Amino acid sequence: MSTAGELATGAEAPFWQALQDGRLSLQRCAGCGTWHWPAVWRCSACGGWEHAWEDVPMRGEIYTWTRNWHSFGGLEALEKPFVIVVVKLDGADGARLMGILEGDTSDVAIGCKVTGRVGQTLYADRSVPAIRWSRA
Amino acid sequence: MKGIAAIAGVGLRQYKRAEAPLPERGVLVRAVVDACEDAGFDPADVDGFATYGDDKNEPVRLMSDLGTKDLSWSSQVFGGGGGGIAAAFGQAVGAIATGQAKAVIVFRALAQGDSGRLSAAVMAHHLNAHMIGAGLVAPAQVCALRAQRMFEHFGVPRGTVEAFVRAANYHGEHNPEAVAYGKPFAEEAYRTARWISEPFRLLDCSRENDGAGALLVVSAERARDLRKPPVHILAVAQGAATGWGDLLENDDDDQYASAGFRAVASRLWARSGLTPKDIDVAQVYENFSAQGVASLIDHGFCDYDDVAEFCRFENLIAPSGRLPINTAGGNLAQGFIHGIGMPVEAVRQLRSESANPVPGAKTCLLAGGPGAPIVSSAIFGTEETLG
Repeated sequence: MSTAGELATGAEAPFWQALQDGRLSLQRCAGCGTWHWPAVWRCSACGGWEHAWEDVPMRGEIYTWTRNWHSFGGLEALEKPFVIVVVKLDGADGARLMGILEGDTSDVAIGCKVTGRVGQTLYADRSVPAIRWSRA
Repeated sequence: MKGIAAIAGVGLRQYKRAEAPLPERGVLVRAVVDACEDAGFDPADVDGFATYGDDKNEPVRLMSDLGTKDLSWSSQVFGGGGGGIAAAFGQAVGAIATGQAKAVIVFRALAQGDSGRLSAAVMAHHLNAHMIGAGLVAPAQVCALRAQRMFEHFGVPRGTVEAFVRAANYHGEHNPEAVAYGKPFAEEAYRTARWISEPFRLLDCSRENDGAGALLVVSAERARDLRKPPVHILAVAQGAATGWGDLLENDDDDQYASAGFRAVASRLWARSGLTPKDIDVAQVYENFSAQGVASLIDHGFCDYDDVAEFCRFENLIAPSGRLPINTAGGNLAQGFIHGIGMPVEAVRQLRSESANPVPGAKTCLLAGGPGAPIVSSAIFGTEETLG
């Protein structure tokens, strides 16, 4: 699995391109306006094949979280413990994105408001662009 | 489906992780021969194979050892986790019903020296840049996220999960073949074990063993002529509902914290004509403790409102709990060969061979690996249940 190959292909390629430019961009059906995440080739709501990619603010609330203590292979560069969050976006019809919560994580809870910035996660010898969230 | 096929023999070989005396395929051959001997059946007459969870042992490679006369059918359920375990029995029934095979071995084999760590193999099936970016690289973390929402948002008391773990350990403590044999459940050790990924501590996580399990499935009619009482496959269901699957943590809001069985469980009950009240004993696959409780909820034994009442230790143990679960110890306390010990225990219960018997048990639920994109469940029954 090569990061470059993975990011350049697939229905979600524009997501990665935007992320590398520091933006969050998500997919919306050009026909009926339905938001799609994960990205699709075909809109199952209207049968359309054309999609637009719209910038979405990196803002939302914590949908769920886990504080990770175990040293799983490949994540040696991340200081433990670290908190993984699933964030429900304010926009994009509430699509959820995964990420790491930075800053103060002591009183993390479902429903906390967060904002994001684009960072990088080192996994083994790969660097993957990823959203870092922090309490709003 | 009822009355078509039955399990006639079981074989299970379990070792400590990375300590199998033979390579994976060798252990598997042992288990297949054990299952055939249990049934009084010639291994050379096995003509079909079904498995799940990305098992690497192609049945065609077993032919020389088994003396297979004619390999006429083999199949594998999609998915890297244990979600497909019950579905493999459904495939076997389908093959027998349509004449594509007469004697099918359902199997799973795992030896770290050959297949590496199971958690890594399961994860390789799903891992992508979204997950890596979030530091999400192991099944424990994914299940932890879902369990946290079940606890924090839906208010499921953590004591329900401890009761589940305690019941599994209680059964393991009294099963000579279990890793927990002779070891009483140490409550304090459970509560203070090191964190893996909150809300999971070490003893909330199934720890894999080396080994192999095999179950011989033949027509119900043929099973009656073999050595042991037939255990009938009454119903099987597999799949995923809309809004459940490999969705980057975007499962529908009402399914996210579940074990993923909503559609599967309703099909299972509809096909069997049974309800949760008709189940005498259950083998509930628990990769992680909370997912076992979520699976009980999904299957309709209880819901968020009464889970605390249902999931109490006394209710979950043999011989006389309301629903004895994981009566050999389950993945947590019997041992974990990707779940294959659980259908073996289901068969032993219905033949009165369990180390923790549930007297008079006629039906046993097998709930497959929870939280997987594709999940499956089955109901097994004694001759009496054919009615």
